[in-house]
Amino acid sequence: MAGRELRRYFATLTILTVALALVPFVLGFNQYYILLAATSLIFAVFVVAWNIIGGYAGQLDLAPIAYVGIGGIVAAQLLKYYGITPWIGMFVGAGASMLLAAAIGYPTFRFGIKEVWYALLTASLVVILNNIAHLPQFLGSLDHYLPARTGWYYLIFSDYQNLYYVILAVLVVTIVINLKISNSKTGYYLRAIREDELAAEALGVDVRKYKLKALMTYAGIMGFTGYLYIVLQGTYSYHTFDSPTSLTIAIMGIIGGLGSIAGAFTSAIFLKTVEEYLRSTIGATIPGLYLLIYGILLIVVGIFKPEGITALFNWAKKKIGFDRRGA
Amino acid sequence: MIDPIIVVANIIDGILMGLLYALVALGLSLIFGLMDIINFAHGDFVMISAYLAWIVAINFMVDPSVTALITVPLFFVIGLAIYKVIIEPILGAEPLIQIAVTVGLGFVLQNIALAMFHAEPRSYPAPALNFGINIGPITLVAAKLVAAAVSLVSLFLIHYMLTKTKFGLAIRATSANRMVAPLMGINVGKVYAVVFGLGIALTALGAALYMTWGQVDPYLGASFSLLSWVIVAMGGLGGVVGVLASGLIVGVLEALGSTFITPSARMAVVYLAFFLLLWFRPRGLFARR
Amino acid sequence: MPDAILQVRNVVKRFGGIIAVNNISFDVREGEILGLIGPNGAGKTTLFNCITGIYTPEEGKVYFMGEDITGLPPHKIALKGIARTWQKTRPFKKMTVLEAVTVGALLRTSNVDKAKRKAEEILKFIGFPKEKINALGKDITLMNHKMVDLARAIATEPKLLLLDEVAAGLRPHEMDRLAGVLRKINSEKEITMIVVEHVMRFVMGLSERIVVMHEGQKIAEGRPEEIANDPKVIEAYLGTKPV
Repeated sequence: MAGRELRRYFATLTILTVALALVPFVLGFNQYYILLAATSLIFAVFVVAWNIIGGYAGQLDLAPIAYVGIGGIVAAQLLKYYGITPWIGMFVGAGASMLLAAAIGYPTFRFGIKEVWYALLTASLVVILNNIAHLPQFLGSLDHYLPARTGWYYLIFSDYQNLYYVILAVLVVTIVINLKISNSKTGYYLRAIREDELAAEALGVDVRKYKLKALMTYAGIMGFTGYLYIVLQGTYSYHTFDSPTSLTIAIMGIIGGLGSIAGAFTSAIFLKTVEEYLRSTIGATIPGLYLLIYGILLIVVGIFKPEGITALFNWAKKKIGFDRRGA
Repeated sequence: MIDPIIVVANIIDGILMGLLYALVALGLSLIFGLMDIINFAHGDFVMISAYLAWIVAINFMVDPSVTALITVPLFFVIGLAIYKVIIEPILGAEPLIQIAVTVGLGFVLQNIALAMFHAEPRSYPAPALNFGINIGPITLVAAKLVAAAVSLVSLFLIHYMLTKTKFGLAIRATSANRMVAPLMGINVGKVYAVVFGLGIALTALGAALYMTWGQVDPYLGASFSLLSWVIVAMGGLGGVVGVLASGLIVGVLEALGSTFITPSARMAVVYLAFFLLLWFRPRGLFARR
Repeated sequence: MPDAILQVRNVVKRFGGIIAVNNISFDVREGEILGLIGPNGAGKTTLFNCITGIYTPEEGKVYFMGEDITGLPPHKIALKGIARTWQKTRPFKKMTVLEAVTVGALLRTSNVDKAKRKAEEILKFIGFPKEKINALGKDITLMNHKMVDLARAIATEPKLLLLDEVAAGLRPHEMDRLAGVLRKINSEKEITMIVVEHVMRFVMGLSERIVVMHEGQKIAEGRPEEIANDPKVIEAYLGTKPV
């Protein structure tokens, strides 16, 4: 990415951040809407982070909620039973998720598991964690609640604005991380891996090392944000390791367009908002309707426009004349 | 100390179930061997056809196994349709997109079921074969015996088809070398479509048999999917014999997990087997053609 | 006598019951262009893959610049200074030509801008059309793709370059152009080359020495003229003794 393009990205990011910061005001501080906005925003974090493993490295990771859950639950338990502030707990959670990622990723990549078997393995991981968390030694069958306190120490508040801004900050950092990776040696290597692993290896790319790097970066971000997710949910339990939610994050990433930060962001915000709307209107009578729509969208995108929402952006760019690629 | 009779009974149960799992997994194996596509939604087809079997059984007051006469041909046609509309367009696509589309398909099936039937399990209230057959100190459920027998016969028939008929030869030839097959006069598109239809039809057969004793909810697919993947990962490209052997192993593993750990741990044993299998299985199985 | 940059010693590679490479030994001298030919099934590609790390030989050793590189994985082999091109094209479809070559250049520098400049330089050096460097991998012609493949390989600054049937599918004038580029790379960048090839005219005109393989073994070694008249070689290709 040339210097000029990078500056353009940062300019866009600044504008976007300011726009998003104004949202609570625009919503008149209506708590329901701000909660909705915060939820959409946290999914934007998830999908943009997922883009690192799915979009850049090209691995269909179906376990995002595993890393969110581990990180979040670790931070929550640290707060609940040891009184440790999530400001520390979130980093510990990130570390726990990265450890899990390394434990799974190292043998997986070492044995050359890829494509569909990687997808199946990661899908299984969520179910396994769900079952382990269900055991009485761990979370058992009950819902767990965070301490009934409020304040910055706990990152729990009586209303949702502050949480919204914290999530916004995390989103900005996540986008910056993605931009940095994209324009770095790691970014080039990951894209080469996604294109053709064998060819990349012959050019000196240590495929396993870079895949693991991508996995751990993504897992770390997910793990860090986990606590904020739990605060939004209100409770945590073995249900936190929910397969449909995990798959939804990956689906949003694909619909957004693999490798596109803008696509990931747009897809998450748009789909989550629509989902919430559907859930609050028809959702009670038709359970799982929005999941059904996600499934159909995914099939349609996969067959007709695999580049996802980025196809829309590219079309718009062409129309405005930003497309410089010669033939 | 666990009663050895219970262990033996569970192992036999595992063998019976293993035959059923092999039947279901065979479809997945044939499709994967032929087209390099692992249908993420394979188990969800079992689930949907199980619901269909239940509906037909309830409405006509027949045993679920009889419903196979309707559901199996129907699902063969459904399989052909899904191949044409969804699978064929993505045959040349990036692997990630291919998997994603079948993931989407699974989502669609699961949530259609959820929307129509909600989450409570359904089962047929008065199955014909719900009695026990006593062999010495062990009691076997007749329904499972019949299911296992039907599975075994079906597996044999398919094996016969694959090895002794012209179409079977066409399938094996295309699996071995899809570039050369057309030069031999094989209509590859037709082979793909029929095999896909066959794979889906087998899930319907498995589902109808399963419903003679089991119950269905929208998440039944997850179990059958996992079992099928493990079987395919274990040796599923070795034709019917490979799938049969793997199916038996998986069935027994599941039964042993249930016996020696806890009943809810049966899936855990299978998952563990899956992980270990993927990590330590020789590379060859996973290399794309 | 120039030093041997690559030494293949008694390499054996089996696949189940089949012996693809059967006790092969030869040297590649620094700075030369060595041709490796032989009829189909001779084991050239298998040997190629043993050198580049895709296979590990059951027996024997491969030495590069005096160091034992037998069994090292491909990315380490590239790091040591051996690069390769592909017979079956492996483009980076959704990356531009420039980006693809940059990937190669990034082996020796972590700075993306430096790597990009080096990539531009190399593309210019081999004569790649300037207006096409931002084209996507999926949109370029076969000949251009082979140039890109070459460029990204030499961007890794190898001392030895292995070319796998690079002339396949090219028209005669394209082959001549490619041969010219390869000679230029060999002399100006001082990169030793092994050219595995089926197209006789191409490899005979390009190579200084030739090694002939047949059924996994070396049956002849020498200058192109010697090889062309060697009865063992003729028999291996034609299946009959020369009249």
